[in-house]
Amino acid sequence: MGVLTAIQRFSLHDGPGIRSTVFFKGCNMRCAWCHNPETLRVEPEVLYYRSKCVGCGACAQVCPSHRVEEGKMVYDRALCGDHGACAQVCFSGALEICGKESTVQDVLHEVMQDADYYAQSGGGVTLSGGEVLLQPQFAAQLLSALHQQGIHTAIESNLNVDFSVLEALLPDLDLVMCDLKLWDEDAHRKWTGAGNARILENIARLSSSGKPFIVRTPVIPGVNDKEEEISAIAGFIGRLPGLVYYELLNFNPLGGSKYQALDVENVFADARPLPEERMQALAAAGQAVCPSVRVG
Amino acid sequence: MRDRINKLPADADVSYRERLRILRERKLEDTKDKSDISAFADGDDYGAIKPPDDYDFTPVFNHPSGTFVGYEGWSENFYRMMATHPVFIDPCDAFANRWMNCMAWTRPIKFNPDLNYDHLKPDQEKYGIVPGIGADAHFGGDYAIGLSLGWGGLLEKLRKYRALNPGHDDFYDAEEKTIHGIQAWTRRTVEAIDEALKVETHPELRKNLQQMRDTNAHLIEGAPRTLREACQWMCWFNTASREYNRDGAGCQLDETLRPYYERDLAAGIITEDEAKYYIACLLLNDPHYYQLGGLSPDGHDMVSYFSYLILEAADWLDSSCNLTVRVHDSMDRKFLHTAVDYLFKNKNGWPRFSGDQALSEGFMKKGYPVELARQRVAVGCHWMSLPGLEYTLNDCVKINNAKVFRLALDEMMASGGEKSTEELWRRYEAHTARAVRVTAEGICFHLENQVKNEPELMLNLISHGPVEKGLDMSHGGAQFYNMCIDGTGIATVADSFAALEQRIEREGRLTFEEMYDAVRSNYAGPQGEYIRMMLSASERYGGGDTLGDKWAVRISRSFTDQVNSMDEVFAPVKFIPGWFSWSNTIVLGKAVGATPNGRRDGEVINHGANPHPGFRKDGALTAMTNAICAVQPGYGNTAPVQLELDPGMARGPEAVDKICDYILTLFRKGGTLLNINIINAQQILAANENPEAFPDLVVRVTGFTAYFCLLTPEFRKLVVDRILVA
Repeated sequence: MGVLTAIQRFSLHDGPGIRSTVFFKGCNMRCAWCHNPETLRVEPEVLYYRSKCVGCGACAQVCPSHRVEEGKMVYDRALCGDHGACAQVCFSGALEICGKESTVQDVLHEVMQDADYYAQSGGGVTLSGGEVLLQPQFAAQLLSALHQQGIHTAIESNLNVDFSVLEALLPDLDLVMCDLKLWDEDAHRKWTGAGNARILENIARLSSSGKPFIVRTPVIPGVNDKEEEISAIAGFIGRLPGLVYYELLNFNPLGGSKYQALDVENVFADARPLPEERMQALAAAGQAVCPSVRVG
Repeated sequence: MRDRINKLPADADVSYRERLRILRERKLEDTKDKSDISAFADGDDYGAIKPPDDYDFTPVFNHPSGTFVGYEGWSENFYRMMATHPVFIDPCDAFANRWMNCMAWTRPIKFNPDLNYDHLKPDQEKYGIVPGIGADAHFGGDYAIGLSLGWGGLLEKLRKYRALNPGHDDFYDAEEKTIHGIQAWTRRTVEAIDEALKVETHPELRKNLQQMRDTNAHLIEGAPRTLREACQWMCWFNTASREYNRDGAGCQLDETLRPYYERDLAAGIITEDEAKYYIACLLLNDPHYYQLGGLSPDGHDMVSYFSYLILEAADWLDSSCNLTVRVHDSMDRKFLHTAVDYLFKNKNGWPRFSGDQALSEGFMKKGYPVELARQRVAVGCHWMSLPGLEYTLNDCVKINNAKVFRLALDEMMASGGEKSTEELWRRYEAHTARAVRVTAEGICFHLENQVKNEPELMLNLISHGPVEKGLDMSHGGAQFYNMCIDGTGIATVADSFAALEQRIEREGRLTFEEMYDAVRSNYAGPQGEYIRMMLSASERYGGGDTLGDKWAVRISRSFTDQVNSMDEVFAPVKFIPGWFSWSNTIVLGKAVGATPNGRRDGEVINHGANPHPGFRKDGALTAMTNAICAVQPGYGNTAPVQLELDPGMARGPEAVDKICDYILTLFRKGGTLLNINIINAQQILAANENPEAFPDLVVRVTGFTAYFCLLTPEFRKLVVDRILVA
């Protein structure tokens, strides 16, 4: 069984062709700008979207930590826990369980509904997260099952694991997409909670494996939105065989409501995506030292 | 109607691109002018303009009730209307005239009171049937007939067949009068151009006016010889047909006009830019439904260099347009890519896409050969037609399946018997069968009597059979009678069945009685609202292999069988099922009480074959598309996919390629028609607040495109809700 947060179909930006993206729950980094904060913890958890609450009180009938005040539900999140009984009787969409234990068959049932689109477009299934490599056994089983169905496979990973974990998956992987968020080790540790030495090493080893790979950098205002930063990363990966392209991803502010739903502080609540021309300027800096740079 | 003569300084740039820019701006002015005319609201852009303030047309009545009917009533009034109709000329335009009024709108009584179908009305009302009795047009003519003969040649043809069909003088008199009316309008137009030439000072525009004059002078009698003449003749037919009864069917535009272009090119009398200018002006004149590409009768791809020119011309025009690209496996991929590029570039809802495989194979199941099936082109809102060969009432006949469902539910709950989804299904199916039967009876009544109400005097002229037989298309003139019967509300019904199965039968959260109390009270009170939300959150149609998806397939198969079974009962008339509500979602919804999918009393039913908004959390297009493909009736008519896409989705050639692959897959899976809006949520919200601030915002409402500012608040909400949830 794997713990997943969602399966997103008709994904156009997670690899070649039309794809389905399977989001794993749990991550070993804590990027301050993460737009999927619900994927950080491995355990299922309850999200509360206050604006959707109609104050019906159904949740209070199954969980004593809930009550209705002035037309809206209030609750003690710690006391409620993450058992999810409250979410199961909430039909307004205010309470939602994030994280579901799923079998390989569950995932196949969903993603194979789009097999015709993958076949026509050269697409397939991408495992993302969270961090896929924290659930290596489930990932391996799923990738193998997908390959048996003739489906192109890819993962999106931070590569912040022992290389052997990735290596075990490579036979059933057609493409690896990995993040390299910052070039400076200390800055990387400051903003993500982990250093980048192992990531850099893994990218190099991945390159040696002969498996095609894509490196991506989420461009975050005030963090890594300088030409010298992009140039340094591009200079490193531009020399590596097997690189399909280097992609710059503009800051994604859409995680804001999830931070609220989780009662977690959003450090980048006021940040906005960079102007398109700025992204193009950064890409130009990367192109000087890397054969193929894209803005995603 | 605005005066556009001599409005530019003599040295103004009037290159073809610049003329089109000016014409586009002027079209926005015209659109604003007609915004206070209710007849133009909530419909296609149509290309019509507001008539002069002093224009008035009062019909003469030939029926004691105070209306006009039949051959004499329509031809007499049409002639009178043409004889006094305002003439419109814009020196920047390649073609003269626009339409401004519609004779059908001037009838105080819309159906001949002598023709009584009271015996059908109780069931029609009971099942929420839009019967189509008295409806007009909604089939396609064959422009090649008119283009090859011209008005003079058509008159000659009428004379020839009058002699062969004694006893049909009323038909031939009416058709001749119709043509004489158009010729009179053309003559007055030539005179008006002569007057304009005395005033216009810009040398290039004078030259254009002179060519426009010569073109129209020739077309009074003669058949078109050049691309310019062919397009102008089409403008005449289109505007006159709109004036008659608002007919808007087009043709296979690339193949219809290509021979003229190639001939002009060989003769050295046209440039590529000139051709694009003419086509753009034709599309500006009236956004009729035109098809591009597809397979020829013998199976070769019809995409040509000229097909690309049409797309480029539409891009130059960058306005409301109803071009449909017919997609098939062997089509030129580059053409599809170009079409998708323009869709995202201009964000005007064009082109649409139709699927050759499902349409052709489906139509062949009705007993037609593949050569005919390939000629059945997209020339209407959601419909296809064999040019000049078939009479169809496409998009005119609807059954409100949501109302049928609610009736079955009420009946089951009032009975002392079993309460289950299977029992409900049994009752729903029986009522649907009765609804289909009474609909078919209504169509046959129409076929028997429509000629005494409203003959098709314009479309008869470009059809194969009416002139030859002296019979109206609605009354024996057509070669085939393939009558459209559309179901509506498939998602409303499927979601209702699914909600009952899931919440009552599988989960046991509710009883039928609790559900019905809530439904009957329109989900009143906190408990009612809680039940509504629970039902609404059930496995919905469009979700991807959900209960709703399974019920929808069952509903569609049953409906399809029932409609097809009418072929035997009413032979030789055939009936073709489809799923399409048009924008009737509003009015049909108002006729239905609350339903167990969480829909409140009077709220809209679903649009066409689309799921209700919010069908799936990620709104996955593929899940929705698969669901719609699975419910295709599959006999040559459509159950369209309506998409609302964010402009950012197709950024870059790679993303456009993915959209192309999506389209190809959709049609390989049985899809028939795809309409796409490219629009972002912020813009549509702002436009909804202040429509006049967005005069050039074009949206594809259903099968048709419209200026957003011309929609009433109710229609705007329809579009806004769909886009926001998507």
